[in-house]
Amino acid sequence: MPHSLAVRAPSTGQSIARVAEVLDALAARDTRGEILTAVRHFPAREAQWADLPAWTHADLAATYAAKGITRLYSHQAAAAEAVREGKNVVVVTPTASGKTLCYNLPVVNAILENSDTRALYLFPTKALAQDQLAELHDLNERLENRFGVFTYDGDTPGGARKAIRELGHIVLTNPDMLHTGILPHHTRWTRLFENLRYVVLDELHTYRGVFGSHLANVLRRLRRVARFYGRELQFICSSATIANPGELAGRLLEAEVEVLEANGAPAAEKTFVFYNPPVVNRALGIRRSYINESSRVAQEFLRHDLQTIVFANSRLHTELLLTYLQQANPHAPGGAEKIRGYRGGYLPGERREIERGLREGRIRGVVSTSALELGIDVGSLDAAVLAGYPGTIASTWQRAGRAGRRSGSSCAVLVASSAPLDQFMVRNPDYFFGNTPEHAFIQPDNLEILVNHLKCAAFELPIRPEERFGAVDVRELCARLAEAGYLHRAGEHWHWTHEAYPADTVSLRSVSSDNFVIVDITGQPEVIGEIDFTSALDMVHPKAIYLHGAQQYHVEHLDFEERKAYVKKVDCDYYTDAIRYTQVRVLDIAAQQRSPQTANAVILSEAKDLNLNPATNPSAPSYTHAHGDVLVRSQVVGFKKIKFFTNENVGAGQLELPENEMHTTAWWITLERALLESLPFSISERQSGMFGLLHALESVATLLLMCDTRDLGTSIGERPPAPGAENAEFAPLRLEDAVGANAREFFEPNLYLYDAYPGGIGFSEPLFRVHETLLRQTRELIAGCACEQGCPSCVGPAGDLAPRAKEAALAILDRLCRCGEGGASAAGLAI
Amino acid sequence: MSHQDKFARLAALKPARAEGARPAELRAPQETDALARALGAAVASNRYGEHLALRTWFSSPEFSEPAPAALEILSRTRDETASRRMRAALADPAQWLFLDTETTGLAGGTGTYAFLVGIGWWDAGGLQVEQLVLRDFTEEYSLLQELATRIAKRPVLVTFNGKSFDWPLLQSRFTMTRAIAAPRLAAHLDLLHPARALWKLRLGSVRLAELERHVLDAPRLGWRRDHDVPSALIPQFYFDYLRGGPVAPLAGVARHNQMDLRGLAALFGKINAMLADSAGEAPEAHSVDLFGLSRYLERRGEPARANAVCTRAMESGLPAAFHPLAQRDLALRARRSADYDTAAALWEKLLADPRDGLLACEQLAIHHERRSRNIERAADFARLGMRKAQLLRGQGGSPWSSAEATARAARLEEKFSARLARLEQRIAGGRRKGSASLPPAKKGKEAKRVR
Repeated sequence: MPHSLAVRAPSTGQSIARVAEVLDALAARDTRGEILTAVRHFPAREAQWADLPAWTHADLAATYAAKGITRLYSHQAAAAEAVREGKNVVVVTPTASGKTLCYNLPVVNAILENSDTRALYLFPTKALAQDQLAELHDLNERLENRFGVFTYDGDTPGGARKAIRELGHIVLTNPDMLHTGILPHHTRWTRLFENLRYVVLDELHTYRGVFGSHLANVLRRLRRVARFYGRELQFICSSATIANPGELAGRLLEAEVEVLEANGAPAAEKTFVFYNPPVVNRALGIRRSYINESSRVAQEFLRHDLQTIVFANSRLHTELLLTYLQQANPHAPGGAEKIRGYRGGYLPGERREIERGLREGRIRGVVSTSALELGIDVGSLDAAVLAGYPGTIASTWQRAGRAGRRSGSSCAVLVASSAPLDQFMVRNPDYFFGNTPEHAFIQPDNLEILVNHLKCAAFELPIRPEERFGAVDVRELCARLAEAGYLHRAGEHWHWTHEAYPADTVSLRSVSSDNFVIVDITGQPEVIGEIDFTSALDMVHPKAIYLHGAQQYHVEHLDFEERKAYVKKVDCDYYTDAIRYTQVRVLDIAAQQRSPQTANAVILSEAKDLNLNPATNPSAPSYTHAHGDVLVRSQVVGFKKIKFFTNENVGAGQLELPENEMHTTAWWITLERALLESLPFSISERQSGMFGLLHALESVATLLLMCDTRDLGTSIGERPPAPGAENAEFAPLRLEDAVGANAREFFEPNLYLYDAYPGGIGFSEPLFRVHETLLRQTRELIAGCACEQGCPSCVGPAGDLAPRAKEAALAILDRLCRCGEGGASAAGLAI
Repeated sequence: MSHQDKFARLAALKPARAEGARPAELRAPQETDALARALGAAVASNRYGEHLALRTWFSSPEFSEPAPAALEILSRTRDETASRRMRAALADPAQWLFLDTETTGLAGGTGTYAFLVGIGWWDAGGLQVEQLVLRDFTEEYSLLQELATRIAKRPVLVTFNGKSFDWPLLQSRFTMTRAIAAPRLAAHLDLLHPARALWKLRLGSVRLAELERHVLDAPRLGWRRDHDVPSALIPQFYFDYLRGGPVAPLAGVARHNQMDLRGLAALFGKINAMLADSAGEAPEAHSVDLFGLSRYLERRGEPARANAVCTRAMESGLPAAFHPLAQRDLALRARRSADYDTAAALWEKLLADPRDGLLACEQLAIHHERRSRNIERAADFARLGMRKAQLLRGQGGSPWSSAEATARAARLEEKFSARLARLEQRIAGGRRKGSASLPPAKKGKEAKRVR
């Protein structure tokens, strides 16, 4: 926004020279040309201007003028016009391009025209809402407080809530609060709902996967309640650059949405560097610590007096990098710290102070988790250092976008870790720079999620028989809910008949709301955190070492019934890694395909066909892949103790924990016997190769799906034997069994990638469609890796696998890709 | 796989209760009006449809005239106009309406229904109770319409915990109709807070059933709750009934509701009598209740009456356990009314008290420094306070003391030691100069340090 130029420390033209010096220094270190794998320059971009819309209220125009805004960027004007025309819009813009004006201008304008108008702003985090509150307060003060603007979240004091419900023209909240605090009590919010016109959804791209699927249902409930008060809602959304903003918005809102993608904000010239830490041990594929290297790169920028933001992927690494950088940049005696940390756990006041310090230039460096990736206004900095690949292309651009003043020059450096995704990215820069960012998927009709929200909806208003809730027949589901004791049909309507408050038992964020509480019993018992059910058994099983805030805790006792883990502070030199056994059983095949394809493509949908013999020549190498419903059973059976830094295995333990069962969806590939037998490897090597292949497949799949690695699970299991034997014990293949002398041979194994959420979250079908891309990129990942026998960056650590696992994985892939050729041409990324 | 199977494995569809959602026994299908018969209720109807209604007249509790003094205390709020309006409305008992609801849950929110609304008013010297009941949710409009006309006629609501539960819930129900406006109340008097102030000390719990037994002397009134319905089961009884289960438990719920309304009306009489009895003269008054009354009077801005009642409580055999609390109240009140010597005498009695001993030390140190100007004595009390705080902090490792308590003790110790240092300096200085020169008393600041 132009106004922000005035309050910011002046950026000097000298930054061009200083950025160049840093780049030279980095290049000088790269004697073998292996470290800087990409250096891309992006030229400056001019602003595209447009006039303030003619309909802008005179007072609002004057207010913006007083803030230094007399004209708009083209996308801001386009958004304001589209909203004025009554359309739902999604504005797709990078960080710091003035997106808040896109919604504040039309909303505040509407309030000035009619003081009854109400708007609800939804932000994915409380911090973002606070940030926007400050901006709106400023606007309101200049307008002599003509409207009420408040945040309403868990921190809102009880005494203030009533006033907010009555007086808030604009209420800033988050989806969770809407879900548990507003919708179930909508009768207290009649003032808002009877006049509600706009709903702003900021950072739309964060609503993907499970969270997005929940939100879509919360919005169904919101529209339903609004309709009860006679209101149809108009949505104004903003999103970072993703491949399918329109599709995502359309699925979330279930309405027509106009997509505005042309960005009219200016940008200075910028350099993006990919930095791969130097190799220390080529054979084992071990590189120098990317944390230390990130610190070194950041230090280079700071030494040249360039204001720098460092992004780390975990809280632990944030603290670590902060320590390094503060030691290297001691503040003057009595002076304030020049390098600060920023993450979720910090108190709001402290965060505001850091944001201000950054805008005013007093703070020279900040180390942050993803907390600063979203639209919090810290101004624009000179340099961004990304310690590790953030996981998605979209997120990488968002973080890199934090560096980029409107004049001068800026620089972003991605320092790769040795994780497969990181290595794939830095070794294939064209993939990153040449591709659109990822797609965001949601599955609002996931039955588990939908039914939970249908319960909440029934609590809010009785359900009418003609109502639609997603794609599911509401009447049938209501009848089921009545049978289970939740609903009762009175006349035509279904009423809630349970004492429990349904929204309380449904969490929008985690897989299950059945969380474990972590209690520190070192001194006075104190709750230090919460952990969702699925992660709990991996992270806080008995005798686990749990890391929290850079402190190690030993899990003394896990109370499974009470959902509590009791921990004590310890200081030890190892961490633990849970051993989880997972079995997958196919329940229902949605579609399957055999490669190479025969004349008539084999798309089967009947479960019984699963066991039919292949119709083609059985001796030709081939594979089948499919997607459908599966049953996943898993159990944590033990753990390994692993030494810090050296990663040596220093011990193990057995555990007896309950087994978990989940119905979900999966994509899988069946390696047929002929293919496996054509491999010139021992059984053990072959099996190791399969595990390595699955490891790499998972990495690439998360890349294609724009999902978290925790959203996907993997397993290898025998393809079910003859029909009728489905109920026989289906032992999964374990890595331990596959390596060494006891290797048990698999006849025709299935390699599964399943959605780690009950009911599935919609990943399997896209994987089925792009499987050729998936296989091809997996081959590129493994083949492109410089290690000899496997490393964490490709097929997994060498020590865990039999020798030649990497070779075997590649050989399998070669055959699979050869099978695929001649079929449909590579689908690219058009998922 | 069919959709049926998909539904079968959803966690969200797991039965609401472990034993299954169906009630154990089902009533005969022809028994459509079983509920009306079980309750002895008639079908009432208006333009929105039908619901059940029944009236029961009780001869006890008898109507008791409200005392102006009691109403004055009960209606006092910070907003003087509101207090006046409420007092005027309360003054006419013909406008009072006792109200208590039975609901499908305690959490509140839009999905909680009031399936039975009980109201009561004084009639012919006794209590007339009317109960409106939903045979099914379709009857809610008709019930609310009826309730609205009843409240319009008697717009002064008297409830027990109704300010935070029953009334907001009913307001929400009215809003949900989008057709029937919630009636406006002239006043709403909730007895939970006065009851808590008066009897929590003695009874621990101030549930209505407890108050009946121990305060209203239920046996004497001939009230029995032998087969009373446990409140926690009420929603489930109604859900069972809706699904074709038995009606008998709901008859129990209706009786429970009647008892609660009678208790509420009687309780109002009792509170009225206690507040009207300005000095706690009533011979049968329980000493702990008198102490509770004194604290309530203090809170409602009647310090003089509070003092009188408190003294009377101590004279009429207040159990020893409550003595320190009462002495502390008296001491604080004495100090506030600038009766410093009385306050000091009371603090001396409290020196050995484990709860307030430290406070007593502090108050006495202040007293002797500022009022009696006996610096040596002030220093003695500061020294005693410091020693006590040290001991308290020393117990920090024991499993009985919390981390906060230890920290608080450390803070107090520091405060006492600072005070002592100052006093000792003055003693030394005084000796040097031969006379003590005292600074003027810093009244406001010291007063704030209490607690």
